[in-house]
Amino acid sequence: MTACKIKTLNNNTRMSTQELLQTINKKIEEGITEFEIEACGQHDIGGSVWSKSGKNITFKITNPGQRVGAMAMDGTKIIVEGSAPADVGWLNSGAEIIVKGDGGDTTAHCAAGGKIYIGGRTGTRSGALMKHDPRFEAPEFWVLKNTGSFSFEFMGGGIAVICGYECDDIPSILGNRSCVGMVGGTVYVRGNVDGLAECVQKVKLDKFDKDFLKSGLDNFLKEIGREELKETLSDFTNWMKIIPLPKALKEKNITVKEFKDTQWFTDGLFGDLVEDNGEVFALSQAGDARLRKPVWDKAKCIRCNLCVKNCPQNAINEDYNVTDNRCIGCGICSAVCPKSAWTMV
Amino acid sequence: MCRIGAIKSKNKLHPSIALKLMRSQQEGHDDSGFAFVMQDLGGIFESYKDLPLLSMAATVEGTRLAEDILRESGFSRVMQWTPNINNEKGLKIDAMPNYIFEVLQYPKSYKHATEEEKEELLINTSIELRNALEKTNSGYIYSFWPDTLTLKEIGSPKDIGTYFDLWNENKDLASGIITAQCRQNTNYDIVRYAAHPFFLEGYTVLVNGENTFYEKNKYYQQKLYKGYLGFESDSQCLLYTLHYVHKILKWPLQYFKHTITPLEYDDIIKRDNREILLRIKASLSHLEVNGPNTMLAVTPDKELLCVCDSKKLRPVVVGRNKDMVIMTSEVAGLNDLMPDRDFRQDIYPTERETIVVKKDLTVERWQQ
Amino acid sequence: MAAVKVNELRKSDLPWIIEYDESKCIQCGKCTAACSFNAIMPCVEERKSNSITAPRKTEKVLVIKQNISLDNYCRGCGMCSNVCPNGAIKAVRNKDDKYSVVYRAEKADSFKKGGRSNLNTEGRTLDKIKIGRISQMTDPSLDAQRHTFELRTPLGRVLKADKLNFGHNGEALYETTPLPPNRWIYPIIFGDMSIGAVSWRMWEAMAIATAYLNEVMGIPLRMCTGEGGIPTKLLKSRYVKYMILQIASGHFGWNRIIKAMPDMTEDPAGILIKIGQGAKPGDGGLLQASKVARYVQEIRGVPKADLLSPPTHQGLYSIEESVQKMFLSMNAAFNFRVPVAIKVAASVTSVSVYNNLLRDPYNIVGGFFLDGLAAGTGAAHEISLNHTGHPITSKLRDCYLAAVHQGRQGEIPLFAGGGLGQTGSFAADAFKLICLGANGVFTGSTLLEVAGCVGSDTGKCNACNTGFCPAGIAAQDDRLVKRLDVDKVAQNLVNYILATDIELKKLMAPIGCSSLPVGRSDALITVDKHISDRLDIQYGC
Repeated sequence: MTACKIKTLNNNTRMSTQELLQTINKKIEEGITEFEIEACGQHDIGGSVWSKSGKNITFKITNPGQRVGAMAMDGTKIIVEGSAPADVGWLNSGAEIIVKGDGGDTTAHCAAGGKIYIGGRTGTRSGALMKHDPRFEAPEFWVLKNTGSFSFEFMGGGIAVICGYECDDIPSILGNRSCVGMVGGTVYVRGNVDGLAECVQKVKLDKFDKDFLKSGLDNFLKEIGREELKETLSDFTNWMKIIPLPKALKEKNITVKEFKDTQWFTDGLFGDLVEDNGEVFALSQAGDARLRKPVWDKAKCIRCNLCVKNCPQNAINEDYNVTDNRCIGCGICSAVCPKSAWTMV
Repeated sequence: MCRIGAIKSKNKLHPSIALKLMRSQQEGHDDSGFAFVMQDLGGIFESYKDLPLLSMAATVEGTRLAEDILRESGFSRVMQWTPNINNEKGLKIDAMPNYIFEVLQYPKSYKHATEEEKEELLINTSIELRNALEKTNSGYIYSFWPDTLTLKEIGSPKDIGTYFDLWNENKDLASGIITAQCRQNTNYDIVRYAAHPFFLEGYTVLVNGENTFYEKNKYYQQKLYKGYLGFESDSQCLLYTLHYVHKILKWPLQYFKHTITPLEYDDIIKRDNREILLRIKASLSHLEVNGPNTMLAVTPDKELLCVCDSKKLRPVVVGRNKDMVIMTSEVAGLNDLMPDRDFRQDIYPTERETIVVKKDLTVERWQQ
Repeated sequence: MAAVKVNELRKSDLPWIIEYDESKCIQCGKCTAACSFNAIMPCVEERKSNSITAPRKTEKVLVIKQNISLDNYCRGCGMCSNVCPNGAIKAVRNKDDKYSVVYRAEKADSFKKGGRSNLNTEGRTLDKIKIGRISQMTDPSLDAQRHTFELRTPLGRVLKADKLNFGHNGEALYETTPLPPNRWIYPIIFGDMSIGAVSWRMWEAMAIATAYLNEVMGIPLRMCTGEGGIPTKLLKSRYVKYMILQIASGHFGWNRIIKAMPDMTEDPAGILIKIGQGAKPGDGGLLQASKVARYVQEIRGVPKADLLSPPTHQGLYSIEESVQKMFLSMNAAFNFRVPVAIKVAASVTSVSVYNNLLRDPYNIVGGFFLDGLAAGTGAAHEISLNHTGHPITSKLRDCYLAAVHQGRQGEIPLFAGGGLGQTGSFAADAFKLICLGANGVFTGSTLLEVAGCVGSDTGKCNACNTGFCPAGIAAQDDRLVKRLDVDKVAQNLVNYILATDIELKKLMAPIGCSSLPVGRSDALITVDKHISDRLDIQYGC
């Protein structure tokens, strides 16, 4: 079967996105599964289509607009010659999307399945919120060069591979502040990475990683037509992976108490001026913490023992001596004394 | 969302290229207007580069009013160009009665005047014209400056192109720099002044953005310079800031980015020039721009400029071949106009870059 | 028992009545031991059985009673209930309170208290303002967690760009003239409470929290010392760079600061000249001799006596005078390296003062702190606290708009304080004032609340002036001060600022602001038309 060719610009009249997408859908209903589209910035090409027969649908596109392959499905293959603007593969749930040039901002945003291959670079917030539905295969997102800043924010799952090709002069191939809020998945990177979020860690590749990259690179480079780079990219010395930092490993700040004990003035700010060993008094406490103390006037005392009997702290002995570290200064002795022999001072 | 574009070319280009640049980006705008500024003029304006060119749209009354003001100020008309109006039925355009593009000679008393004195006269006359037209609701002055032509209209870009016969290339109308936008300002009232690009004294600015610091900017700018009048769009603030930093303060262009999106303190203190950057951050804090913005600009030196907000929220890409550099919102526009360029040379500005297209079309990337 | 006479102080005159449930009391004595006001005491009561037929026989029982005294009376602090194991005792507000009338009648003296005004007859302006400009499709809301936010503001004189006199060599700018000092600080300042007004433990806790926030959390918060001297070891330490040293009319402790200068390794964050206080504008300070503990004498360099801060600086008699004398001298003291700001009580005249300062030709005015009517204080005459002053919000706005009118906003950073967080939303209050034009805010009362102050704006406790602060915050008596747990207070202050930091970001994010929204009044709306007109913000209904 020959491919259906659609040209979207005639003189100065441009086919709108609606017209183009409806045309494509109509052709698919007619059984057509191969498209060659000369686009003029139309959005959403290749997204959410399927054939009743279950046959794969293929799009070859030049000059698409935003959201190429948005919400695309298993069985769809999209090849963009050259670059595509923002949102390539947004919410991709199974398609294979190949952009031979660059991708715009938020490429692979929310991708949950399939494979997205970018033969150039991608923009800010790429791979943000990628996720892996455990019932299906994890999404893959391959980029030959680099991504813009703020990429892989809130990434929950899936695999991204950023090859850093021809990016030696860039301080960070993931831009700045990437992987903020990343809780799952893996980002493989080759080259300089700087300004990462605090919630992730850089880890060396293990055998499993290398095997995955080796086999994946073959297909990726073939699809973007850069097989000559296989050798360069298969040198794993400059690769690493970025994964979420387990909560337990997150750096904990010292407490204020620890700060005070280790860095503050050893005897406190006022240590040379007040006597203060740091003890914290309870609201009613015996000893020095007492707001008032009982004083016994021997001359007035008739030895009735009411104070001794009523003292809630058993702080007064039979000789009317007060045990300071028992007495809280409540004043009950003074209250019950018929002769006012106890004064609170 | 707006879609914007700026083209700088070795060869003088007809404005139809602006319509074509915007065509593939149509889903990104709302078909509500079309405006462009041409600088470094060729065609029939080639030999009048040093003389001020007035671009305005007015009613019959407004036209007369403007002529009176210009005559009284001592200006005399040297030449006039009238677009070839194609008023076919069904065009979606909200046209004005008259479109005036005329080259004027300075008053005789300015024969030996300095450039500064001439510039002063032009801005004062522009203000007078604008105020007079506004008072009588009889028209709009878009630019009054040498080597600069501005057209703005409300309606569908495609139909505006047809109305002014801009789809058909001809040699009359051509320039080395064209900046264009396909949209009216739909956040606020549809006002012709609110349409990008904005022009002031050789500076042109067009923005795809939302300046959330609009009120703050405006409060500060309205006292800074008499020429900062017109706050119909929050993006005009960026024009005034560029003009203030570069023309009034006479600071190098690099500091524009430091003004609108200053680095955070923690980044600044790592820099050698931290003292300067902190002063700028403090003194010009009311000119900071928050919110998503991509700005394209032209300077009086005929250089192009591109900067983005500090989170790089809006799209932009720079493409080039040996004859031309184009900055535009989406790569689709580049693909249309330069399908054969080496797309690996495309530049996607980051949140901390200023992209400058020099006179000789070399492209520089300045890191903030 | 003595006969009760009509003209004597009655229990029913007191502001708080002790409710005591004898059946629950186990006579443990904790309540009376805990009461710092000596307002309750154990008493023996004589009781008779209810029976009218039984022979008349009385018995004596031990109960807790309230003191009926002008000096030792219940402030409602509630410490008795806190310690009671059985909930047998509590203080209940007396709605027929006549205490302050009797006090004046008996003492021929004005009534004094601490805390804030208790005359809250109207709703707060700040509570009638909402953040109403939320980014909804116009521009993306930021994410409080994902995006980076910068909460820093300059303290120090900011010059208009054309006055910076930068030179350039084609590409780079460079300075050609010395410029006034600027510090980039967190927009919240721990507000000036002196050593003496608060206890050493409270003061140290604030200082530790400040140092910790800076050095561990990277939050550049500054603490204003208040005017009560500063421990020499702090002056000589690195931590002094987080401190804004205050000079008020008493100049307490300043000779010690001057003597310490040769040994200081860091400059302080700033100097704050205190002219007045929002809680009691036009009224000076008084630290009663009873609170002038030995260490206070040592730090302030004074003998034990009533310490008076007069309502004016004796040497200043005009705004110009103050600029030339006070600002110049304080700038000179640290060789023009340290920003010098001024704090005044909000007043009808605030704009005149601000305008004068803006026109200062020497660029030595580095900040304008406006303290509003609802501010708190350690001690004030009730008449001042309740009836003098100006609400902060409109006056802050007036000053900002006066600067806008001249195209000079931001040149002298504005800081606002006075009653922030009064209704529990400190971050929101701070945010709104910043949107109205403040570069930052300062607070004292909030810190006291975090530290465990038991007082309220409806007459609970408010005894900061007495030295009997039951929480050990405003006390100087060892036994009360040591109730305060320095480590816990410092940690709580830190936590509170961390929480506030999150909350400020939670307000910045929806308006799409990643830097401090100084002057972003477009983000605010009010449901009150008068407020809308007065503050020039949108009315929403």
